[in-house]
Amino acid sequence: MGKIIEIKNVTKEFKVLNRREGLKGSLKDLFSRDYKIVRAVDNVTMSIEQGEIVGYLGPNGAGKSTTIKMMTGVLEPTSGEILVDGNIPYKNRAKNAENIGVVFGQRSQLWWALPLIESFKLLRDIYQIPQENYEQMLELYKSLVDIEPILHKPVRQMSLGQRTLSDILAAFLHDPKIVFLDEPTIGLDVSMKAKIRTLIHELNRRRNTTVILTTHDMGDVDALCRRIVIIDKGKMLYNNDIEHLKGFFGSYRTLKIRLDGDLEQWAQQLAQELPDFSVSADDEWISVLVDEEKAKVIDVLAGLQKKYRIRDMQLEEISTEEVIKKIYEEGVQ
Amino acid sequence: MKKRGLRFYTKIYFKIIAQDIKSKMSYRADFIISTIGMIFTNISGFVSFWILFRNFPSINGWSYHEMLFLYGFSLVSITPVQCLFDNNWSLRQQVYTGDFIKYCFRPINLFFYYQSEVFDIKGLGQLAFGIGTMAYSWSKLDIGFSAFMLLKLIVFLITASLIMIALQNAAAATCFWIQNSFYVLDLAFKFKDYAKYPITIFSPVFRFIFTFVIPIAFIAYYPSYVVLRPDEVPLLSWLSPLVGVVFFIISYKIWMRGALKYNGTGS
Repeated sequence: MGKIIEIKNVTKEFKVLNRREGLKGSLKDLFSRDYKIVRAVDNVTMSIEQGEIVGYLGPNGAGKSTTIKMMTGVLEPTSGEILVDGNIPYKNRAKNAENIGVVFGQRSQLWWALPLIESFKLLRDIYQIPQENYEQMLELYKSLVDIEPILHKPVRQMSLGQRTLSDILAAFLHDPKIVFLDEPTIGLDVSMKAKIRTLIHELNRRRNTTVILTTHDMGDVDALCRRIVIIDKGKMLYNNDIEHLKGFFGSYRTLKIRLDGDLEQWAQQLAQELPDFSVSADDEWISVLVDEEKAKVIDVLAGLQKKYRIRDMQLEEISTEEVIKKIYEEGVQ
Repeated sequence: MKKRGLRFYTKIYFKIIAQDIKSKMSYRADFIISTIGMIFTNISGFVSFWILFRNFPSINGWSYHEMLFLYGFSLVSITPVQCLFDNNWSLRQQVYTGDFIKYCFRPINLFFYYQSEVFDIKGLGQLAFGIGTMAYSWSKLDIGFSAFMLLKLIVFLITASLIMIALQNAAAATCFWIQNSFYVLDLAFKFKDYAKYPITIFSPVFRFIFTFVIPIAFIAYYPSYVVLRPDEVPLLSWLSPLVGVVFFIISYKIWMRGALKYNGTGS
């Protein structure tokens, strides 16, 4: 296995006009040369192996999209070096485009008015995919997902889930070495998310496609990625296996309890009672993240049981979601 | 890298256009209404032209039929820009919202890929109307007919189209640098109305501007001399094809430069 993407000391800076407030400020801005330099990506170095699925994580505005735009050749780095399958993306945008597929969660790249199969045929011609390979790929798609109902439907009439599915299939169609997926499951329902995760996983496994995935949904990460890269304010915070990262939080346990009534309200109340721990609620459970170095889970549970009628409980290791949340909030020590 | 030459692009272009027309036809009401709209636009344009000439038998030495020829010529020459480059009108919106980025990920020419996406079929009605007008006025004018004249006409029609396309490309590309570029594009498109008249009716200042700065005089006025008044063709008329090609290349470069410096919005 060779390195398919190499990024060395890459920095990207943008020149941004310092905007003033109000109408008067806007008028001044017209003549202003008052720029400040914003560093969107700051000295990032990483490499990605052929066939890996890497989760590229970070809060909004961390620099994820900027990095991806540099890898796809849309942006030129201010300094540093990027090689994608031996190409410098910015200098060889068209050549680089042959090797990559890109999906931006909310923006379809397909022809809006055309049925999916017609889009596929156009892509076949644009990428000059040999007919044999094209048919093989369609067969593979048919074996992985039920595409018959959407194949003859114009993209504009599709649901968000169907559109995302179509976009992913279109991105893999020319059998690229790398596929960039930017928030592929955003806004989708639970079953569609699961479908899309399975699809990505299978395509990665069968075609050995390298996948770079940005997401805010840790479900995606748990289902797909072994390795994650975390970036915040342009700086790389972490670049290794998820399990390794969880090791840092070995003393943390998630206590999940179920109470009668509105869980959100309960969670708010518990958060006030347990200021040392983070409390959250989902559809089924209230989760309390307990650091065992501060208090034993069993004591917390005993304390809660005295005051509330606990219906059900579970004890888990720290979840990826909570690890990432802690890193966004506190950084890696 | 796989080779992508003229043959490749021609093939792709016709496939995309065929798909676009097919999908437009499937929205029948939309198609019929916009066709009717186009017919009325043409008729009303012609009526205002006709009323003008009921009152002035000639403009600056140009007779009714000569003017009619000029009118038909300008209609035909703006057809390509209308049919083939209509997507320029949505460029501003796509750049503003960030949707434009999708065009950056394909291994084909960006300008080609963008323009190929839309074919405005309504322009064909205008083409028919323009050809009809030209044929009628030609038959009324005592200038004879030869294959060579027809050839000249075709060359100069292509020239004029190139200038019109170039004008629109350059105007549309301004959106890569300025936010509110609609006015630029709108203005550029309105210039086509001035192209219908002999530039001798304008003041010397505008004559200079329309010849050397925004060369709309090359859209109909200078080229039409070659057919209408072959004995008094100004030097600038013979330059038209060159002006057309050069101006088109410049506008393409501007467009591509803007597109390549584009870096999208946050997502």
